[in-house]
Amino acid sequence: MRPLDEKETTIVFEKLFKFTGNNLKNIVENPSHEGPDANPGRYCFRLHKNKVYYVSESLVKRATNIARANLVSLGTCIGKFTHGGNFHLTSQALGILAANAKHKVWLKPTSEMSFLYGNHVLKGGLGRITENIAPGDGVVVFSMSDVPLGFGIAAKSTQDCRKLDPNGNVVLHQADIGEYLRMEDEL
Amino acid sequence: MVKKKSQKQKIVLPPELPPEVAEDEIEVSDEDLQFVNENQDYAGFVSGLDTQSITKHVSRVADVKEDALEALYEKRLKKKSLQKELEESKLQVDPVDALPVKTLDGKLYYRTVTKASTTSENNVNEEGETGGDDKDDAVDKSIVKLTKVERRAKLKKSKREAKKQGKEMDRTEEEQTPHATVLAEVKKDLTAEEAFESKKRKLAELGIALLSNPESNIKSLKEFLQICEDNDHAIVKLGLLSLLAVFKDIIPGYRIRLPTEKELEMKVSKDVKKLRYFESTLLSSYKVYLQMLSALENQTSFQQVAIRCICTLLDAASHFNFRESLIGIVVRNISSPDDVIRRLCCSTIKSLFTNEGKHGGEATVEAVRLIADRVKAYDCQLHPDSVEVFLSLSFDEDLRRAEKADEKNKFKNKKNKKRKSPEEPSQLQDNGRKKSKKELMAKIREEVSADYKAVAFTPDISEKRRMQSETLSAVFETYFRILKHAMQPTAARSEANASLSAGGSGSHPLLAPCLKGLGKFSHLIDIDFMGDLIAYLRRLSSAGSTSDNNSGKCAKFLTVSERLRCCIVAFKVMRSNLDALNVDLQDFFVQLYNLVLEYRPGRDQGEVLTEALKMMLCDDRHHDMQKAAAFVKRLATFSLCFGSAESMAALVTLKHILQKNIKCRNLLENDAGGGSVSGSIAKYQPYATDPNLSGALASVLWELNLLSKHYHPAISTLASSISIMNVANNQVYLSNVSPIQAFTDLSLERESFDPPSDVKKPNSKRKGASDSSVSASIESSLETSSIDEDKVREKLSAHFKLLHDIKENQRLRGELEHATSSLQLHEEYKQQKRKASMPKSKKTVK
Repeated sequence: MRPLDEKETTIVFEKLFKFTGNNLKNIVENPSHEGPDANPGRYCFRLHKNKVYYVSESLVKRATNIARANLVSLGTCIGKFTHGGNFHLTSQALGILAANAKHKVWLKPTSEMSFLYGNHVLKGGLGRITENIAPGDGVVVFSMSDVPLGFGIAAKSTQDCRKLDPNGNVVLHQADIGEYLRMEDEL
Repeated sequence: MVKKKSQKQKIVLPPELPPEVAEDEIEVSDEDLQFVNENQDYAGFVSGLDTQSITKHVSRVADVKEDALEALYEKRLKKKSLQKELEESKLQVDPVDALPVKTLDGKLYYRTVTKASTTSENNVNEEGETGGDDKDDAVDKSIVKLTKVERRAKLKKSKREAKKQGKEMDRTEEEQTPHATVLAEVKKDLTAEEAFESKKRKLAELGIALLSNPESNIKSLKEFLQICEDNDHAIVKLGLLSLLAVFKDIIPGYRIRLPTEKELEMKVSKDVKKLRYFESTLLSSYKVYLQMLSALENQTSFQQVAIRCICTLLDAASHFNFRESLIGIVVRNISSPDDVIRRLCCSTIKSLFTNEGKHGGEATVEAVRLIADRVKAYDCQLHPDSVEVFLSLSFDEDLRRAEKADEKNKFKNKKNKKRKSPEEPSQLQDNGRKKSKKELMAKIREEVSADYKAVAFTPDISEKRRMQSETLSAVFETYFRILKHAMQPTAARSEANASLSAGGSGSHPLLAPCLKGLGKFSHLIDIDFMGDLIAYLRRLSSAGSTSDNNSGKCAKFLTVSERLRCCIVAFKVMRSNLDALNVDLQDFFVQLYNLVLEYRPGRDQGEVLTEALKMMLCDDRHHDMQKAAAFVKRLATFSLCFGSAESMAALVTLKHILQKNIKCRNLLENDAGGGSVSGSIAKYQPYATDPNLSGALASVLWELNLLSKHYHPAISTLASSISIMNVANNQVYLSNVSPIQAFTDLSLERESFDPPSDVKKPNSKRKGASDSSVSASIESSLETSSIDEDKVREKLSAHFKLLHDIKENQRLRGELEHATSSLQLHEEYKQQKRKASMPKSKKTVK
């Protein structure tokens, strides 16, 4: 377990920035109320076995007591570095992203299941969409009752969505909460 | 002619005067004589005295004397009672003019001027007309018969004298001049008035003649125009106005096309010739008239009249020739600084827009185009009215639809035909005769429809469409130009933020009407423009936010209402264009969330705020829970701070939101923290700028409890009904009231509630509090006012008594503490003294 180095930090933050925009500040400065300390600490990012964790400082302190080999996980895993050095967000990051999302997409109840099985979001399944999405932006997918379902990358801008045919992709799937069942082992 | 008459008139009156003057001379006292005799040297000046001017000078004093004199005169000469009437008129005659004048041939005659009887113009005129014959007789009586030549010579002489007098007066003291000029003016007035009168009569005659039979009297239009070129302003104005009336009446219902040369060569019947003559004369004089108007429009004294004429003409004859120049002038004056002119022009343009049937829409296109050009030329620095007129434009949406329907039908027909075609060959042989019959029928039908179209006089749809799209493009071009212009100063400012004093909220006079228009025509905007439009609106609405990293200077550049309006327009545009896609305008919600706090009742328009509330919060189908909760909380806070109307609107909105978002009713629970729904933010952050991050679900709506004690009965009942919403499930009542309606209701009520003076305001508001009935109607409030005041007094006195008691209590407690502390100190001091037995310089406190 170690803090991210500068290069890794930029990669992770860039990724998060895609989804949260200026709200990234909130993620970093969020006070943590974990532990017995009277004054709240901060959350920080830790890398452990190629996975990036979003952990409170008090937890980090305690985790140092455990040998690196024995430590399986701590805090919230938000993603992992691939062998190629890329950073992928995993579905556990959804909690943080959903709270601070800049671009959102709401799915109609009928198309929720399709998304949860790992499919892209089609125009036809779109219940609502935030204005001002550009292609390539990170988008958090919600159900109509505001339950975060997953996230992905916008394939079209909001403007283009209007002219899109119902079968066109609006959001490209990256992660969803269905993965907790489908890929239980990997997580 | 006229002059002569007046001159003659002068001659009528004199005979009575000389005796009076003579009497004057008789009354010289002995003392005076003595004095003159004693000081002969002094008397020298008398001979050189300009008696005329002196008497003139003195005449004012003399006027006073005159009455007394007159009495004397009357006593003595009662027998002259016959001439009394004349005398009365003579009263106004100046003694100066009573002096006899010796003519070249040695005869005396008396000059008088009937003094400016301006008050009785009619009298003068009557005299001028009726007295014409009598005068000659009078002249004969008064003066020994004069030949014409002599008379003329006399006239000349008197004129010369008048001139001389004028010169002399110039030389003499200043006080004299007004008198002389008045005299001269009187003369002029007299003649001018008569001329005026005659001209007026002429105008009336011409007008009546023209109206009664325009075809045969069309020539007199030219006379009319000549009169209008008069020097007299009043006559010109009258002429213009009467010409306007005439033109308005005789302009035909079609556009005149002058015959070509070829046509002129052809032989035509008498009637046609007459008609042609009428048309050409009408057209040419109309042209001259318009030229005159446009020339006069630039002169300040005639401007209003000219503009009035032009506006009325445009209104009445928008189909007629030279419409372009009329529209040009009207548009030029649409942003005139003069209120009257501007209003006239605006109403004319509006009526032009609304009554398109008259001119078939062409004038609309022209006017809109001209306004657009004007906005461009003036760089958006015009009066708001000039763009506001666009609001009265109306676009026929059925045009496009009808076309589409036609196309569809055609398509269908084709399809049918195609579908039928394979079947037909088999049937063809069987009913070949039938088919030919059908074809014949179709042919006839087509012909009939063509004929009908030609006769029906309906304008071509495609033509109409073209005009409409042209109008629309001009309108939106203007709107976008204004928006763009509103954007520019931001850039300019951030670069060179000083030296731009022209900025401020006043720098975008056109923004408000532009936004209004955008809202109104939002359904007509092309989807392709929409992205840019929304982007502009977003930047405009956030232009004032303090979170901008540029500086605080940006903050002042758009007012709160303008920014709110931007939000509203964005929503309108979105809503009217998006049936299929539900777009969440997150940024605008953030703006609204912050703008609610920046709202100030006096400065900003409450209507705009309530419209925004309705548009964005009530009408929107779906909200995030966090966002909704944040707005609920903020609206509750807001309603605590402002007047009853605003808080009512806020509460109604709040209720709407709570009804739609059942989860947000956690706010009503008496349990801070919000439990699991509160999300990642565990604590309410009232200063957060983003509603999603405020964590409002973790708070409690304690504001409702306070509001249920609101002085206004309607608000208190609404607040308490909201607070029990969670328990009681019957949320039917009041749910159909929109915030705008609530706001207007209460603001109206407030106006009637409040007496005009500010001092009594609190009283009247308390009135509402004690009035327990929900519908505090005006009459009841008036009736109960006297009773209420007593109650209010009681309550206030109780309140202040309590306050006073509290203060007293505090004071006493403070004294007590002081005393005990000093006692303690004293004790300690004693102890120390005893122990150390050493004198300390320390002094006890007080």
